[in-house]
Amino acid sequence: MNKMISLIKVDINNTYGLSTMAHSLKDKKSRWRFIIFGILMMSLIPTYIMLIRALGNMYDASIQIGQRSYFLQMGIFASQILVFVFGIIYVMSKYYFSNDLDQLVPLPIKSSHILGSKFVTLMISEYLTSLPIILPFILIYGIRGKEGILYWIYSFLLALGIPVLPLVIASILVMIFMKYTNIKGKKDLLRIVGSSIFLFLILFIQFQMQSIMQKVIAGGDEFYINLAKNSNLLVMKLGVVFPPSMWGTLSLVNYGNFSGLSYVLLFFLVSIIGYIIMILLSEKIFFDGLIGNMEVSSSKSRGSRIIGIKDSIKINKPYISLAKKEVKILFRTPVYLLNSVGGVIILPAVLVMSTVTGDESLELLTKVLGEFPHFIVLPAIGMIVFLGMLNSIGCTTFSREGKNFWIQRTLPIRIEDQIIGRVLSSLIIQLVGIVAMIGSIFFIAKIRLGNILIIAILGLLGSIPMTQIGMIIDILRPLLIWDNPQKAMKQNLNVLIGMGVGFLYGGILTFLTIKLFDKIDINYIYIILALIFILSSYILYIILKKLISKQFIELQ
Amino acid sequence: MLKIENISKSYGKGSVKAVDNIDLEIKSGEIFGFLGPNGAGKTTTIKMIVGLLKPDGGKISIDGVDVWDSPLEAKSKISYVPDNPEIYDKLKGIEYLNFIADMYEIPKEERIKDIEYYTKLFNIEHALGDIIGSYSHGMKQKIVLTSALITNPDLFILDEPMVGLDPKSAFNLKEIMRKMCNDGKTVFFSTHVLEVAEKICDRIAIINKGKIITVGTMEELREHAKEKESLENIFLELTE
Repeated sequence: MNKMISLIKVDINNTYGLSTMAHSLKDKKSRWRFIIFGILMMSLIPTYIMLIRALGNMYDASIQIGQRSYFLQMGIFASQILVFVFGIIYVMSKYYFSNDLDQLVPLPIKSSHILGSKFVTLMISEYLTSLPIILPFILIYGIRGKEGILYWIYSFLLALGIPVLPLVIASILVMIFMKYTNIKGKKDLLRIVGSSIFLFLILFIQFQMQSIMQKVIAGGDEFYINLAKNSNLLVMKLGVVFPPSMWGTLSLVNYGNFSGLSYVLLFFLVSIIGYIIMILLSEKIFFDGLIGNMEVSSSKSRGSRIIGIKDSIKINKPYISLAKKEVKILFRTPVYLLNSVGGVIILPAVLVMSTVTGDESLELLTKVLGEFPHFIVLPAIGMIVFLGMLNSIGCTTFSREGKNFWIQRTLPIRIEDQIIGRVLSSLIIQLVGIVAMIGSIFFIAKIRLGNILIIAILGLLGSIPMTQIGMIIDILRPLLIWDNPQKAMKQNLNVLIGMGVGFLYGGILTFLTIKLFDKIDINYIYIILALIFILSSYILYIILKKLISKQFIELQ
Repeated sequence: MLKIENISKSYGKGSVKAVDNIDLEIKSGEIFGFLGPNGAGKTTTIKMIVGLLKPDGGKISIDGVDVWDSPLEAKSKISYVPDNPEIYDKLKGIEYLNFIADMYEIPKEERIKDIEYYTKLFNIEHALGDIIGSYSHGMKQKIVLTSALITNPDLFILDEPMVGLDPKSAFNLKEIMRKMCNDGKTVFFSTHVLEVAEKICDRIAIINKGKIITVGTMEELREHAKEKESLENIFLELTE
């Protein structure tokens, strides 16, 4: 147990950089970072308040149909699903691709201890996902319904316990997945293809279930009678998809009597059993998936890939060569692959698919979109442009160089090539996102080739300034000292700052588009957007050129 | 070829002077050894020459080109091998070499010829298809050396190049240095290994606590020392 606690301590410190943070708080320059971070966080508050207001309306609606409990259920369910989806990505990078494993595995520690400690740190990260979602639901329900003290106690416990089961399930699925894809030679490819299919499958099942649920809920004449009879009807219906969300809800709804208590106990009992199963399973299969992972390519296989130098030499322009190098490293580093490439594939798919549930809404949507295609073209462009920042490629492009940054600084590379090459690498990943976007749109509506081209061209054009904004932030304060690529991308404050500035840029454009929307022809809007993108790209290019040449000299 | 005038560099708001007003001039066709105990300022000086650290004052020029005013032109004349071969772990050896060659815009024929020659010489041609992350320290060192050599630099700068090399490769590297100088190129390297410096350097500078203590050929150094013995004794005497 002592080992476990000390592992958890080290892992938490390592993951959140507590020691470094404490150290840098003493440094005046770094103190600014925290202030900027604080301001950024505060800038999100207005959006959050708007969201809570909307939730308040939802609460009223659920009262009107006599299904007040359903409101709570939606909160619990949504946070658990999100924890699960993010959990799969987190678990994979944390259990299998983090660098501390090289040091942990040779130590005399059980695999269950390694996994258990990593699970705890992940839980803390997951609270950042689950708490902002679940808290407004709990607060609105509790305050508006004037619930008693026991409600708040149960809520507190549940809020802590909510991420456990989704994370346990994600861990078990990933462990099994990694064990069976740990095949020599084809491992990387298999895992990339496998995990994409895996994620899509989960999303697909999720949406299928949702639409089945909708049908069940909406179908039949008895439905309304039952709805009136049973105030927890909707909770039970959705509970079929993931029962623990139902137990959580029912415990809060019935906190005043014995069944509330029994649901709390059931919720935690199942969570604990799940955790134990995961730990026991980890003893059996965790190392199986891990070991082959750490040997990069064994010495036995060396020479098996002897290559002809003549055939492997290709001459490229410096910026093309730089872009190719960037893309190769993005694809070959799991953390980058999951965050950048994975992000641009998954986000459009989730967003597009989640707008549609059930066949009836689909029919209506197809009809509307047939007549007004720009209702889908404009949001699609917006989405792609935002992905230009969310893919984190621009705002980590120099940070990702890390200890290799000396190479870039000692080579005779023109600054222009640096900019073009790095922007190009982001655009290549954006192309993947555009394909995912258009592919997902095809699920709900057929759009014409002309519109596809508009999405692609404007999306790419808009991704250029987004990438450049990220690059400006990153060259001003590159995070070059890291031992784990995770730190360069996921724990890099530049990503967050980039998103703040990017959202501001995108927000202004969205505002402008909405203002112009019914005033001028849609084609003019496209042209205006294109012009703005080109102009801002050019201005940012000039700024970047100055900054990079200055920083390449100044940085130490 | 390489002219260093009055350069200084201090860390920690000027409290620690890593390099203190150094002057050096290295001619074309020279192998120049840069010696000194740990923390003497060797790496700092080298980093200032290759453009990784900006000096607090002074001037560095290569063939008359100021390193900090025209960085691109200066960098295209230099190849640099750092003391720690940190390079892109996720690239294959051949991809890394090709990337470097693209940056120096080396023509295809020359590229193929040189890559074949140097990888064979350092015995890493069989590993070019593997990713660099799988290489040993020595192999990484060799791929960095190869990448530096295929650019055919006028000025070859190496920081502790012999560390981590096997005896045969170290021998080959010395041969390459000699040959480069015969072709009129310049080699500037730092080292701890005094025998190497003694054997192959045309001139040697000894740096201690940021200051150059002595510069000259082996003969000149011997004359200055009290006891005209090996470089080891001279080194120990001067850096005391």
